[in-house]
Amino acid sequence: MMKSADKKRKKESKKCEFEFCKVCNLNHDHGNRHKYFPNHTKSLSTFLHRFQTKLSDIRFFLRNPTILRPELASRNRFWCVVCDAEVDEIGSSFACANAINHLASADHAKKLKHFLWKYGGGMDHADNFRFSEADLAKWEKKCHSLNDGSSSCSDRTNGLQIGPSNDIQNELSYKSINDFENNNLGPLTPKFLNNVLPLQYNTHKYQISQSGHPATAADGRIVCGDFEHIGWQNSQHCIPHTDAVGTSNFGNGGLYQGKHMAIGGSNLHGKNLDLMVIFSGLASIAQVSVMAPGLAEGNVHTGAPPPWLEMTVEHHPEDTSVPLSSKKGKSKLNPKRVGAAWAEKRKAELEMEKRGEIVNSDCGPNWLPNFGRVWQSGSRKESLKEFESEKPELPKVEVDPEMPITLRPYVSKRMVRLCSLWPLKMISFR
Amino acid sequence: MSYLLPNLTKKKQVDSIIRDTIDKVLVLRFGRASDALCLQLDDILSKSAREVSKFATVAVVDIDSEDVQVYVKYFDITLVPSSVFFFNAHHMKMDSGTADHTKWVGAFHTKQDFIDVVEAVFRGAMKGKLIVSCPLPPERIPKYQLLYKEI
Repeated sequence: MMKSADKKRKKESKKCEFEFCKVCNLNHDHGNRHKYFPNHTKSLSTFLHRFQTKLSDIRFFLRNPTILRPELASRNRFWCVVCDAEVDEIGSSFACANAINHLASADHAKKLKHFLWKYGGGMDHADNFRFSEADLAKWEKKCHSLNDGSSSCSDRTNGLQIGPSNDIQNELSYKSINDFENNNLGPLTPKFLNNVLPLQYNTHKYQISQSGHPATAADGRIVCGDFEHIGWQNSQHCIPHTDAVGTSNFGNGGLYQGKHMAIGGSNLHGKNLDLMVIFSGLASIAQVSVMAPGLAEGNVHTGAPPPWLEMTVEHHPEDTSVPLSSKKGKSKLNPKRVGAAWAEKRKAELEMEKRGEIVNSDCGPNWLPNFGRVWQSGSRKESLKEFESEKPELPKVEVDPEMPITLRPYVSKRMVRLCSLWPLKMISFR
Repeated sequence: MSYLLPNLTKKKQVDSIIRDTIDKVLVLRFGRASDALCLQLDDILSKSAREVSKFATVAVVDIDSEDVQVYVKYFDITLVPSSVFFFNAHHMKMDSGTADHTKWVGAFHTKQDFIDVVEAVFRGAMKGKLIVSCPLPPERIPKYQLLYKEI
């Protein structure tokens, strides 16, 4: 007990003041030793990986500058974990301009070095988390050229890849723009917007379909209010567009982006138009080309199963491997946990018993678990042996009380001596 | 309240529950249903048994049963109620600042105290520690006097 108290005192004397590690997100008093701890190195690798993914997005815009619309500027923010500062794009004319300038700044470089020194991670990796001046100069040149060619920019955007390659919205809309142009749909301008647009008109009931039952939904009618993505397959013929205001043609299939679009079916000009798209303030539609003919056979309205269910049906024969892998995941419990070997052995025994095989278990009537007794002085096996040696004594203890106990009064040694000497004294007096 | 928890009266039952609880903490309460403090502990145990069921199993053992006396002697149960912790048939000790680290003597103030204690045992066991420190503050730990065996 005293030794452990001494050790604790020594540990306390070595402790430093508490400080907060933003990588591990905890307070510690390890001082400078903290950055070498394995938990910290793990947290640091995930932390830096996350920062790297954000930087890779910005790096894309470094190589491919794009003009940033003012109404979208407020949506773009970047938190620099090194400087603990938020960089927004308000007032910038190019995508991620402020973020690029920040990452190329000397202040950021200085703070990055301090960060790597404090939290570990290797000073030689500093260049991964900042932009060099050469990169910045190239980016600025491209921006200038973009500005000069801004008059024909709208024609060029179709050819440019918009957004990072891993942005689903941009990818689809890029394809949709191309397909849309090929469809020759006239009045609609192929400007692409990949962001949410504000609602300018209320969604009224009459905008939603009133043209009857879903029996006509074989044409792929959609009824909805606000939505973000709607996909449908219209295997029917194209709906001829009648209005120049807001309506549009839809070919086979369509995918729409953007919130607050009211889509409904209604009768227009005596024709049973299945779909009418009303969108306000928007000048562009994104249309996705038809999927492979095999997939275009059914949709939600025709009652076809969703594609992910079909995929799971295909993967059924492979399912047998899934429970095995999940079992393997369970067995990846810490192998150093208490009684791990015993647990594995016992699980195997139980499985054998389930199968009906006879198991030679060592659990007799005298089995006792591994126990550390209160007054043990050695290992637990020794305490077990000690108990087992005590056990034969138990029946003896029980027998003894059955013997008759003779009670005698207490006689001190002095009295015994006196009593033994008394007859002699009596004789001497006489 | 003990009817809500498995009540063990035979050595075989205790053996089987210790051997069959795999990768979970086993809490064995040694006591008697007539004791007031025992009843208080049983109340806490039965109410929190379900909440800890993912990582712990709770059972009560009747200390007056003859078949179980060997365990009463082996575990040095002298005060009632006493709770012993096991993990994969290995005994787990807890240092709560009291004289006896091998068991928990007394009841708990709240369900949360019990859950915290069991969680501490489980976390220590998963890390391979046979003795864990008690997460409760000293004022919530029942105090008792432990007499040396020969007195």
